Amino acid sequence: MRIKLTQRWIDLLRKQPESGMGYQRVDVRFADGRHVDDAMVFNAEDLDVPDEFSKTEIEDVRLHAS
Amino acid sequence: MIRLTDTETRILKNQPETGMGYQLVEGTQFDNKTKRGIAYNAELFFEENESRSVLKTLSYPQVLREATRSTGQFKSLRVLSRSEAPITLSERKAAVAKAAPAKEAPIEKTKENEVFKRFSAYKNDNRLQSDGSWSEGTYATTEEDAKNVKTGKDAVARYALANPEPAIYRFTGRPKKDTDIQRGIVEPAFNQPGGGVEVIFPNGTTANTVTGPEEIPAE
Repeated sequence: MRIKLTQRWIDLLRKQPESGMGYQRVDVRFADGRHVDDAMVFNAEDLDVPDEFSKTEIEDVRLHAS
Repeated sequence: MIRLTDTETRILKNQPETGMGYQLVEGTQFDNKTKRGIAYNAELFFEENESRSVLKTLSYPQVLREATRSTGQFKSLRVLSRSEAPITLSERKAAVAKAAPAKEAPIEKTKENEVFKRFSAYKNDNRLQSDGSWSEGTYATTEEDAKNVKTGKDAVARYALANPEPAIYRFTGRPKKDTDIQRGIVEPAFNQPGGGVEVIFPNGTTANTVTGPEEIPAE
């Protein structure tokens, strides 16, 4: 499912390079300690993650090192 | 090697590619003699027995600049079927190898008055900064290649976009001369064929260089 990122993360991602036209690959760390590596973010604002993360607060988002 | 005329390029652009970024073609001259060879990006022609080693030593735009400008020597051009093609397998592999994605390409400089297009499913495309610039590492395509895209779904296929939603918003970039740029060919990905021209602006563009979007049909 897609999570709408908060403005903090949008502002961070929009200044960083794309992985392809319209998307970035990112590693996401959640407040409960779980993380998702190599997730996709569209337009620096829509994060695609499994449903189980839908209500979990995001702790950190970084570009995935490929 | 010959840089084809705009008319010759248009003829080839309306015919299928042999592989990503190239066509094996036969051109008929006005004296009815024929020449066979390989055309890159529908604009750069090498005869079949002509060395293409220059492609290994110079960047593609440099090769284009070095090429002799055609004076319209072909009255017709057609893409050869694979069975007709005289190009050897190793040569075909070399051609494919040349069609690499932009991220693997060397950084070059834009030329004066070059125009680029970017397709997005988002009207508020976040690569466009408030000062009318593209941010660092933004992908786009050339104005010429964008002419192949009539719909948002065309854009998804040609640029192998990760987001399957039709990219119906088309932005226009007119970066200043000598802006850093990488050029390449889109690889297949996300169940999309790719094959379009892609560029990256590794350091973005300067203020007031991007306009739009214009909306195109979804499909």
